[in-house]
Amino acid sequence: MNYDIIIVGAGHAGCEAALAAARMGMQTALITMQPDKAANMPCNPSIGGIAKSHLVFELDALGGEMARNTDMTGIQFRVLNTRKGPAVQANRAQCDKQAYNSRMCAVLANTRHLEIIKGNVVDIDIQDSAVTAVIMKDGQHIPAKSVVICAGTSLRGSIHIGEETTPGGGGDLPAANQLGLNLHSRGFRTARLKTGTPPRLHKDSIDYDRLVIQPGVEPPPFFSCTVKKLSPMFHVEHPPTDADLLSMFHVEHRNPRVDHTQTRCAGSTPNNQQPTTNSQAVSSDLDVERWMLDVGCSHFPPELMPWQPGGDQMPCHLGHTTEETHRIIRENLNRSSLYGGQISGTGVRYCPSVEDKIVKFPDKPQHHVFVEPEGRSTDLVYPNGISNSLPRDVQREMVRSIPGLEEAVIVEWAYAIEYDFVDPTQLTHTLESKSIEGLFLAGQVNGTTGYEEAAAQGFMAGVNAALKVQGEAPFVLRRDEAYIGVLIDDLVTKGTDEPYRMFTSRAEHRLLLRQDNARFRLWEHAVRLGIVDSELVVETERFASDIEREKQRIETTRHGGSTLLHALRQRGMTYAALEGRQADLDPVVAEQVEIWARYAGYIEREQKEVAKRRGMEDVAIPDGIDYRAIDPLRLEAREKLDRIRPETLGQALRIPGITPADISVLMVIVGRRGTTTESTEDVRVASTNGMRT
Amino acid sequence: MTTVFKDTIAAISTAPGPAGIAILRLSGPDSLAIADSVVRCSGPPPSQRAGGTFLHGRVVHGEEEIDEAVVLIFRAPHSYTREDVVEIQGHGGQAAAQRILQTVLAVGARPADPGEFTRRAFLNGRIDLVQAEAVADLIRARSDRAAAAAVEQLEGRLSTQLNALYDHLMAAVADLEASLDFEEGELPPSVLTQTDAQLAAAEEEIQLLLATWQEGHLLRDGARVVIAGQPNVGKSTLMNRLLGRDRSIVTHLPGTTRDTIEESLILGGIPMRLIDTAGLRDTSCLVEQQGVTRASISIDQADLVLYLIDASQPVSVEAHTTLSRLAPKTTLLVQSKVDLVKEIPEPPDHRYEIVTCSASSEDGVKSVRDALFARLGQMDTPPHAVISERHRTLLQLAQACMVEARQLASEDEALLVPAADLLRSALDHLGSITGRTYTSELLDAIFSRFCIGK
Repeated sequence: MNYDIIIVGAGHAGCEAALAAARMGMQTALITMQPDKAANMPCNPSIGGIAKSHLVFELDALGGEMARNTDMTGIQFRVLNTRKGPAVQANRAQCDKQAYNSRMCAVLANTRHLEIIKGNVVDIDIQDSAVTAVIMKDGQHIPAKSVVICAGTSLRGSIHIGEETTPGGGGDLPAANQLGLNLHSRGFRTARLKTGTPPRLHKDSIDYDRLVIQPGVEPPPFFSCTVKKLSPMFHVEHPPTDADLLSMFHVEHRNPRVDHTQTRCAGSTPNNQQPTTNSQAVSSDLDVERWMLDVGCSHFPPELMPWQPGGDQMPCHLGHTTEETHRIIRENLNRSSLYGGQISGTGVRYCPSVEDKIVKFPDKPQHHVFVEPEGRSTDLVYPNGISNSLPRDVQREMVRSIPGLEEAVIVEWAYAIEYDFVDPTQLTHTLESKSIEGLFLAGQVNGTTGYEEAAAQGFMAGVNAALKVQGEAPFVLRRDEAYIGVLIDDLVTKGTDEPYRMFTSRAEHRLLLRQDNARFRLWEHAVRLGIVDSELVVETERFASDIEREKQRIETTRHGGSTLLHALRQRGMTYAALEGRQADLDPVVAEQVEIWARYAGYIEREQKEVAKRRGMEDVAIPDGIDYRAIDPLRLEAREKLDRIRPETLGQALRIPGITPADISVLMVIVGRRGTTTESTEDVRVASTNGMRT
Repeated sequence: MTTVFKDTIAAISTAPGPAGIAILRLSGPDSLAIADSVVRCSGPPPSQRAGGTFLHGRVVHGEEEIDEAVVLIFRAPHSYTREDVVEIQGHGGQAAAQRILQTVLAVGARPADPGEFTRRAFLNGRIDLVQAEAVADLIRARSDRAAAAAVEQLEGRLSTQLNALYDHLMAAVADLEASLDFEEGELPPSVLTQTDAQLAAAEEEIQLLLATWQEGHLLRDGARVVIAGQPNVGKSTLMNRLLGRDRSIVTHLPGTTRDTIEESLILGGIPMRLIDTAGLRDTSCLVEQQGVTRASISIDQADLVLYLIDASQPVSVEAHTTLSRLAPKTTLLVQSKVDLVKEIPEPPDHRYEIVTCSASSEDGVKSVRDALFARLGQMDTPPHAVISERHRTLLQLAQACMVEARQLASEDEALLVPAADLLRSALDHLGSITGRTYTSELLDAIFSRFCIGK
């Protein structure tokens, strides 16, 4: 079987990459060691949070799966930063770990053009500097036009608990040592990073009375347009009858398709490979694409919607460490893997282990511990805030020094994981390797942390692998268009020396990149890619024109002596409370109008900034410049430019260590190449003008 | 042709030093609009005129008239930079040119970096291939010199102050950004109240730095050197000798110079303003009285006084009294007309550095030149850090951002993002002076200040 695209690894990056490529019509194979662990959440089963939420909204606007998967399997929904304005407002959902994983498995198993192969990829085959196949552990070659590696933390992964070290990829997955070594021998620069996870506790062993309850928000704030569109149906007084549902959706358009899962798998898998082995594979008449992509459908299979989205939310609970906790940790620091010398990789500063917190902030008398459920049908809870690499006896003592956790039973031990990541400056903005054509890398293997950061890269790599096979122009998002653009530009321009997490402060133009306007600012791209359901695309277009119309209306309509716009600008004013509002205006439209009224001046200023920077951003640096031969450049600049090979002057200026003077020299080179003809008249005048400045 | 640059730059294009005219050049998309707002002329404004023409008008700053000028219009691409270029030829010399520069900066131009007009010229395709090569080297040389200057400054006091300011602002920004990027429960509750106090303190620091601009005139305009003394001790002769031409009218009659006469002079690379004054004496002549008053004012404002006493005459009580009021640190005591005496008399006061001169010959003022050069060479290092024109513009921009940011932040929590963005601009402006970049330092600043993360 010849595949267009092979995805290696079925974590959050791999799943998005596989779905994007398959949905763009590419014959796609997703190879994973454990197909039933797709989209596993080895750390906290939570999606979103400040800046990460922005990534999820953007993914949804472009056709990713993460937002829907979260909305359908979330057990608690919250909104963060509500008072600080729309630019930094963010959704966060606690998911049912098991449901998240099994729903994603169901989506994968029922996506056309996508085949799931259980197996262990140990190497890639390269001919003429282009990837041609992946090589399996048994030596078999599976050919493909493009390969996307989403190895997560598995490359030479090792798990640390106190003095103990064992190989592993995290979340009970095996390590991928051979692939790691082979990538290294193919010339990829790699380095070590470290991350960790707290112990898991039994939910019935906790004294919740000693903790502060944190309920979810009602109505639940969803990420995905799909579920938002469905949600009015969930909030009827009485559960909807079948007749209600039938009348709500255009069932007459539903066109049940024949079972393509089986025809696709039969006889089409390579030797020695198991065909789709998803234990949760859903009934074969389930047309997932129809279901996912056209919102109109008449029933919701439990594999894709395990419960009413946002219904029956579960609370989290807040506790804190004590002086006693800190004493226990301090006295046993030398037995922690992190401080005992076992770990050399760089850890995450903003998600520090509890050892790090005690050492780096000795004056802080207590630290938060959030006790968060891992799901509806599991006994495990996640004590957020006490990630560590202490030996088991110390972990137990430490956990039990926390009020409310005195009797806690530890079901799974905390551990730290150390792994190889590939220096992402070896990739282009499409996440393709600069040295091996057709090879893409995405996700935590590129030095990021977080499911959302991984999913965003996976989607972009999958899309670009597909576009490459199709011979189409690449798909790159600019820094002023999307957090995804900021993420990838940061990675390929600056690299990283610690696990990279998204922050709003990394984006230059926050006011433009809000989660509420993701579908509007990315609409044209969504149309180009064609992954998003056409109904949603049409809806976005309709909303956009409604927004413009309503903006004009409130600008020109006067009410009680001033314009509606003026009234809406008043602090604390909402569209819903506006006299002279349009009562039937869709809340999505009203929200955009409200934000525009409040922030128009600041947004305009931001857009001017963007236009100013665009000058440099739009000057492309031609391929094939021999930086080492440009004498006027400083040696350091020559080396850095040669290594990163920036695509524009704007990107060049963002490379750490490149100075404005270096850019001036670069401008000469670019300007010189840009001007091919000069009239003799011009030359003459130029020489008489000489070099005056 | 793509125009890469969206901003408009300005610089005085003529060399510093005394000259009849000075040329200020503007280049960039807003050149003509800027010219419209600063030039008053009869007929259509500059932007309505054809390229390759000139007009005569007055340069105004608001209501105030600054200079009479000839304005040359170049329209893209027919200009040195291939952008719209306006040249303002002022008639008032260097000082007026500085004020014209201030005026155009105030309405949206940015001070040009060294070599920037040429850089635009080749980037916009104005210069041919061979020249481009040469210019690359030129820029290299310039930027290296700039780098050397930057290193000097980095070790200097100005830099210490600017870096402290940057750090203080960065700390405030880190607090503000942390409050946006992390949930409330993760940060100390006092974060934002501290931020406002930190910003207020940083604003004061900017104010102090901006105040040094006035005192930086030694570097920009040169020291004020005043020639003073009793009537007829040879002040005007010395002035003419130092200038190398007859500028002051010289007679044997005491009280010939009745007004102060001011001229620019560059001595061994050090710029100065040389000021000849009326002889100091009680007089009944009203005009001469005015001159004496002006002389006294000049002495008060002087960076250095050349106090002349006639070596061929006994020192009068009056002269002695005047001398004793001058600070030895800023005074050179010049014994003039030494060619008329056999033996140079004992100076009246040993606290002053003494030089002798005979202004009747060229050689006779060499010792004065040498002493001036030595003194001003020391003075060239100002008593404390001063800022340049470029620094001043950037500091003012940063200050404006900070003022608005504080206002927004205190007005409404929902405006914290625009406030933070303004502070980011403020840091960018300061970073243009110190060479530091916001993005690389912000997260470090946040994580060194808070224990964040679950």
